[in-house]
Amino acid sequence: MRVDLSGITVRFGPVTAVDDVSLGIEPGEIHAVLGENGAGKSTLMNALFGLVRPESGTISVDGKERQWTSPQDAIGAGLGMVHQHFMLQDSMSVLENIVLCSEPANSLGFISFAEARRHLDERAQGHGIALPLDRQVGALSVGEKQVVEILKLLYRDARVLILDEPTSVLTPQEKDRLFAVLRSFRAEGRAIVLITHKLDEVMEIADHVSVMRGGRLISSEPLSATSKDRIAREIIGGELPPTRERKKRPLGDVVLSAENLEIAGRGFTVGPLSFSVRAGEIVGIAGVSGNGQADLVEALVGLKRPLAGTVSLLDQRIEQQDIEARRHIGMSYIPEDRQRTGLALGATASENANAGRDDRAAFARGPFLNRGAMADFARALIDRFRIRVAGPSAAADTMSGGNKQKLVVGRELARNTPLVIAENPTWGVDIGAIDFIYGELMRMRDEGHAVLLISTELDEILALSDRILVMYEGRIAGEVSGEEADRDQIGSLMTSRAADALAEVA
Amino acid sequence: MKTLRGILSGEALSWAGAVAAILAVFLVLMLMVGAPIIEALQGFFSGAFGGRRYAYLMTTLSRTTLIAGMAISVMLSFRAGLFNIGGEGQLVVGGLVAALVGVLLPGPPLFVLTASILAAMVAGGLWALLAGVLQLYVGVPLLVGSLLLNYPARYLASYMVAHPYRDVQSGMIQSHLVPMETWLPYFPGTRLDIGILFVGVAAAFAIVYSYTTVHGYHSRLNGLSPDFARAVGLPVKKLTLQTLAMSGAIAGLVGAVAVFGIHHRYIDGMLVQPLYAWTGIIAVLLVNMVPWAVPLSGFFFAAVQTGAAGMERAASVPKEIAFIMQAVIILFVASRVSGALTASSTRRETDNV
Amino acid sequence: MFELIFDPSFAESIPRFVTPILLAALGGALCERAGVFNIGLEGFILTGAFFAVLGSYYTGSPWIGALTAILAGIMLGLVFAEFNLRRGGNPIVVSIAINILAAGLTTYLLRAIFDVIGAFTDPNIVPFRPIHIPLVESIPFLGRVLSGQPVLFYIAVAAVPAIHYFLARHRLGLRIRAAGENPAALVAGGVSPRIVQLWSLIGCGALCGLAGAQLSIANVSLFVENMSAGRGWIAVVAVLLTRGRPWPLFLIAIIFGAVDSLSFRVQGLGLAQQFTDMMPYVATLLVLVALSWWRKRQTI
Repeated sequence: MRVDLSGITVRFGPVTAVDDVSLGIEPGEIHAVLGENGAGKSTLMNALFGLVRPESGTISVDGKERQWTSPQDAIGAGLGMVHQHFMLQDSMSVLENIVLCSEPANSLGFISFAEARRHLDERAQGHGIALPLDRQVGALSVGEKQVVEILKLLYRDARVLILDEPTSVLTPQEKDRLFAVLRSFRAEGRAIVLITHKLDEVMEIADHVSVMRGGRLISSEPLSATSKDRIAREIIGGELPPTRERKKRPLGDVVLSAENLEIAGRGFTVGPLSFSVRAGEIVGIAGVSGNGQADLVEALVGLKRPLAGTVSLLDQRIEQQDIEARRHIGMSYIPEDRQRTGLALGATASENANAGRDDRAAFARGPFLNRGAMADFARALIDRFRIRVAGPSAAADTMSGGNKQKLVVGRELARNTPLVIAENPTWGVDIGAIDFIYGELMRMRDEGHAVLLISTELDEILALSDRILVMYEGRIAGEVSGEEADRDQIGSLMTSRAADALAEVA
Repeated sequence: MKTLRGILSGEALSWAGAVAAILAVFLVLMLMVGAPIIEALQGFFSGAFGGRRYAYLMTTLSRTTLIAGMAISVMLSFRAGLFNIGGEGQLVVGGLVAALVGVLLPGPPLFVLTASILAAMVAGGLWALLAGVLQLYVGVPLLVGSLLLNYPARYLASYMVAHPYRDVQSGMIQSHLVPMETWLPYFPGTRLDIGILFVGVAAAFAIVYSYTTVHGYHSRLNGLSPDFARAVGLPVKKLTLQTLAMSGAIAGLVGAVAVFGIHHRYIDGMLVQPLYAWTGIIAVLLVNMVPWAVPLSGFFFAAVQTGAAGMERAASVPKEIAFIMQAVIILFVASRVSGALTASSTRRETDNV
Repeated sequence: MFELIFDPSFAESIPRFVTPILLAALGGALCERAGVFNIGLEGFILTGAFFAVLGSYYTGSPWIGALTAILAGIMLGLVFAEFNLRRGGNPIVVSIAINILAAGLTTYLLRAIFDVIGAFTDPNIVPFRPIHIPLVESIPFLGRVLSGQPVLFYIAVAAVPAIHYFLARHRLGLRIRAAGENPAALVAGGVSPRIVQLWSLIGCGALCGLAGAQLSIANVSLFVENMSAGRGWIAVVAVLLTRGRPWPLFLIAIIFGAVDSLSFRVQGLGLAQQFTDMMPYVATLLVLVALSWWRKRQTI
């Protein structure tokens, strides 16, 4: 099945997310769509899949022009998509998830699960994919959940498979298995669209490469006709920022230390964990998401009480203190979710910038707010962190993702505390903001602050960390020094059960 | 700005649609009882704003006192993201305590009045705090806990004026009258008591508090995003309890004003049946919790109620039409402005394009 | 007190109190599972109670009364859907509005149609009669509980496994669960969560309508202003406590119904009516407190 997009344009209000893009997807081919966050890749694919209605342009399948009114039409035509955020029901079984929305039912609407099982067995055969169908999806690892998503596509016999950033949640080993499965799909004549921002993976598996930037298609050609450097330049529209020099600096005192910390996690107990972070170093915590990192962060920050063990900040025991007290002692926190936890989107930039300040006298007169001082502070932050926003009184939800994140990072770093906890600090922001945030975190390190970086992006961990701890199933699976770290070594520490679900394929 | 104009005209159109739909419901209800429309409308406006020497307008203002008072109480909670729908219980407890202290406490009138009002505020505040404690330390959601506490308050008050403190001679389920010297005086030449001034002060306090104080700012951040408030280290528990206490105290004050200004005793059901607390809630929602507009919204709903009473006198339209109109108005209006109401109840969105 | 609890006539009265709470809570459960935060059950029940009387009065058939109540409940469900699902109004606001609407509409119609204030009773209102089940009836003690109840009790009890099975095995049931847990997955699968939620509101309206019918044309045969008297809120609590799972809901409904029934019985004991009226709510609060404590102990 061949799919052609021609002249696709998608607008969200005044923003043009996809601008006149045309490309063709051939059967038996792995087609990589590359670009930064916000380049329009996901929106383009959502349009192809019927989730977003394009303002103009056409989609044709095997030469025939088609209109989707909902994803149901696209699915019916043989398209399938694995979304970046899994579309799964944790409380349901694997089988229930697979049949959802395509249930084999009798005339009264009752579902025949036996028929579903038979049907699935037929389709999945030969790809070496196996999962216990009665397991509850919530109990699966992230990698296994992705297998469920792929089984959903097989169950519907999708001829064109769209995968949105499929490797961002996988260990390197799981990634290899996934790629083997994709190759086996390709051999069957299915078309695969791989949305990604990882260049190495494209070089490894793709047949055809399309690059998007700022909503436009920059290039679309066979991999053999281009080169890694050229693609890289096309993605960012210029030269890559130079890699940062890491200054050697003597280690300071211990700022944060955890001893035998145990936390109630989702489905398992996290810990016991023991580690410390010293002044002047960035300690990275790597691992596939869902291995207890979120619980660890919550326990360190004070969002959750640990079950056992101690946490000390600047030699004070803090595991029973509330967040306010911990921040006062010397902690700042850049949360993963800027939409809910990092910012109050309904408030102004200034109100967001001034939240959580310890120096009450600087923005209040007695019980009253000093709005002028608050605006001045916000303006200083906006200047220093180069945040693009209409002004201190603009609502936070008018800002772009990258600028929101800079506001969060700016607010927290401006507190100048001995300890900074950063949780996926560059998730979903553009390359300019990423570079800037990396620079700020490095500056904090160089100035002698202790930085704890929790990230699921291995590249981020490798770029910033002096020491790397790898978490797996709630424990620290190993420690690697930043200088000696290599991908495969950390990858094997991150290994999880999902690798077994995607058995080796010839 | 073509798009802005497009949005504005779209807005205007949908507002016009809402108004048309509300009027249509109104018409259907009128036709159902075969009421003469013109007389009914005249009755409505004179009932809300007219009367001899504006007597009905004074009734509307008197009712505004209670509805706007409850609206202010509710607003403080809602802005802080606290779904305190137990205003009724806090109001009843305040009214009961005011009446009992007024009847039982000896002393000079001004002292009795002051003590009664303060006691009512404390009682209302404590009743609200109880719901807060249940949420924070026991884990009963505020929405449910505050609502369920309405009923014990209602029945406890009913019991008190039916048994131990009943004015038996009156034959009704009600307390004795509070001493006449403690009654709130009327504005000269009217039948409107000065209770509205108390609520005016409460409104001024609430507006100043919401816009200009650190506490109000922090509460609002909690209302916009509880996760955010927690993560930046705001003292969420303290904010919750203090806000609820303020809310409840204002509800208690309203109860005291109803006793000393209007009924001069506690009568069983006097604060429950007219749905003051619920009307207060929808008055807040009508204006999307914007503080300065809340008293006006309270006046609006008071006028709908007294206007309906006027319609009943003029055209025999059952006055319960007021509640139907209130509900229909809030359905149409709230669905247009409810975006900001609970950041906490909306699902996570991504900001990626 | 103890004689009272083991008094067969007490046990016999329990189903009458369980039925409305159970039916309304099952309706609420459909919404809860579909991700519709419908806490306006009180208004749904009250409306059902009124229209059951209306239907029965004009046709002389309790069945048509129940059907009228179901239709009225469904209409209210559609109103909820219009303002919450289609226009995007906050569900709590819509629920509160529905409650006020029901209170206003029933009293208004009471005067507009029957020209009475407060209560309407008339010999033309035909209630459901108790159904005597031959063999069951002769079981000692239990027989008087399980037999001799109005038909809606049996319908309510049968609805528990039916809804359980429906949610587990039916296409719409599966989608209702998905709409409540991760509606984005339905969107991605080409199914509109709103349509699924609309169906859950229709089901909820029908069940709540029946709950109202039980109050007005099975337990008694009259309509009184505000006769739902907080039972809708108790049903809401039951739904929230059990997260809408039918079997636990059944258990909670029995507990709440028994307390409700008990409070009715102890009025004869010289306890002031106000305290017996208070009992269901205090009991509900206590159950909430106990469960929260128990859950906390579980997690630590």
